[in-house]
Amino acid sequence: MITITHDEIDAGALIRAAQTPEMGALVTFVGVVRDDDGLETMELEAYEEAAHEELSTIRDEAMERYAIDSVDIVHRIGRLEVGETILVIVVGAGHRKEAFPACEYVIDRLKQTVPIWKKEYRAGGDEWVAGETQKSA
Amino acid sequence: MKVRVRAFARFREIFGSEQVIDLPEEAGLDVLLKKFAESREEGHAALFDGDGRLLSHVVLMHNRRRVEDAAVGGTALSDGDEVAVFPPVAGG
Repeated sequence: MITITHDEIDAGALIRAAQTPEMGALVTFVGVVRDDDGLETMELEAYEEAAHEELSTIRDEAMERYAIDSVDIVHRIGRLEVGETILVIVVGAGHRKEAFPACEYVIDRLKQTVPIWKKEYRAGGDEWVAGETQKSA
Repeated sequence: MKVRVRAFARFREIFGSEQVIDLPEEAGLDVLLKKFAESREEGHAALFDGDGRLLSHVVLMHNRRRVEDAAVGGTALSDGDEVAVFPPVAGG
């Protein structure tokens, strides 16, 4: 499942939904809004159609590169408070040794290519988070 | 022809989330970007340097496919196309 949502994300429900009898490992990454230097809230914005396509591409790449059975990615957008879940990635596999690097591959690629942005709000003002770029300066 | 331009994050705050730009039939992506930049007072400085080159942190998509800087001049447009302009991504 690839989803971009305004709703709260339930990581436990996603893990249960992903599980099949063949899976011995479900490696899960949960990205959370961190209390960073007085952060009050965070606003996440997406180019939704392109982000959905890019997430699907990353899932397909991970499935090709690693001996895994499934990749589920749910990314939240909208306004989030400290402690709320931004993102859940669930990688299902027969064995952990493939599931761990596959999960890391998905989050690393996501941060490089998926058109989603964060704006941080603090008492002193607001600021867009500087993103990663694949282009040379 | 009419081309839809969508802007995100910092560029959305400058240009608005969406504009439809009317262009001559033969116009390419470079022509579109200049016209789009001129749509706001601070638009040109947001996208181009003093020599008229696209700033390195401006990312472009044409019909949801990335366009590298070197390809901007050679990218032809058609009526109904969608171009997106945004800063480097920061999700996850």
